[in-house]
Amino acid sequence: MKRHILAAAVVVMVIPSGLAAQRLDLAVSPGVITFPSSDPDAVPVISAAPVQVSYRVRENTGAPWSLTVLAGGDLISGSSMVDISNVTWVATPAPPFQNGTLSKTVAQRVASGAGNVPNPNTTGSVTFRLANSWTYSTGTYTQTILFTLSAP
Amino acid sequence: MGRCVRYAFLTLLLLAAGLVPAAAQTTTATLNASVNGLARLSISSLTISFPDSDPDTVPSVPASQGPVTITARARTSVNGAVTLTVQAADQLRSGLTTIPASQITWTASGPGFGNGTLSAATAQTVAVWNGSGVRSGTQTFFFRNLWSYPTGTYSLTMTYTLSAA
Repeated sequence: MKRHILAAAVVVMVIPSGLAAQRLDLAVSPGVITFPSSDPDAVPVISAAPVQVSYRVRENTGAPWSLTVLAGGDLISGSSMVDISNVTWVATPAPPFQNGTLSKTVAQRVASGAGNVPNPNTTGSVTFRLANSWTYSTGTYTQTILFTLSAP
Repeated sequence: MGRCVRYAFLTLLLLAAGLVPAAAQTTTATLNASVNGLARLSISSLTISFPDSDPDTVPSVPASQGPVTITARARTSVNGAVTLTVQAADQLRSGLTTIPASQITWTASGPGFGNGTLSAATAQTVAVWNGSGVRSGTQTFFFRNLWSYPTGTYSLTMTYTLSAA
């Protein structure tokens, strides 16, 4: 038994400080982002209500962190599809937030920084926008997007 | 002791190989987008006129405006039918004198467009498409010119209808 404890102690002692577990918190509200139906001539780009992204990074001294978003696929309504790249976002404040375009294959960076973000009320505003088109078939389209806050 | 050292070594090896996951927090959101049915029609000229002509030299009088450009925008279901029709409200009329609306014909160009003859009794198909989109084409109107027409200035109103299933 003593031998096992000794081995564990050795492991803990040699782990570099950068590998120590960071403490990350992430919340997105509202959880449903809605694009209302609009006339493409009058509203060529449909803006959803802004999404508030609250995040906190602790025990991450000097190391980078990033917030990304990845779509689970295209917007789907039955057999109809709208390419997810038609969804973009405008985010503030910049930095750490940045604008971008949704992808279903590569997680796209929404925000990034380094070190700690100790304030529990740190938030950004992300407004998703859908490029409107006459070519879309009628229907109610849906898709899930995944936000990931990671460090390092 | 030898086994413990091996455990420790293995753990360090895994750490060095990056197999220890980085810290991450995830959350999901749902995108919803509604696309409702919608149709819009635009026509380049709302007046079509046929000048007086000698029936022998001009048996078919083309409209002075030349080709009328029609643009149809429609949102419908997948492969849903989109139909453009035109119907005359009445015969060509000059006071009490009439000429049948069927004396007006058209030739058309553009995907989905077809030639036709105007009717006051039945809506005539101008174009048919499938699915959502923006389509354009032209209609060039002609008036069948006859010696038998009484003199006068004749007119009628045409109604275009763009419908999406």
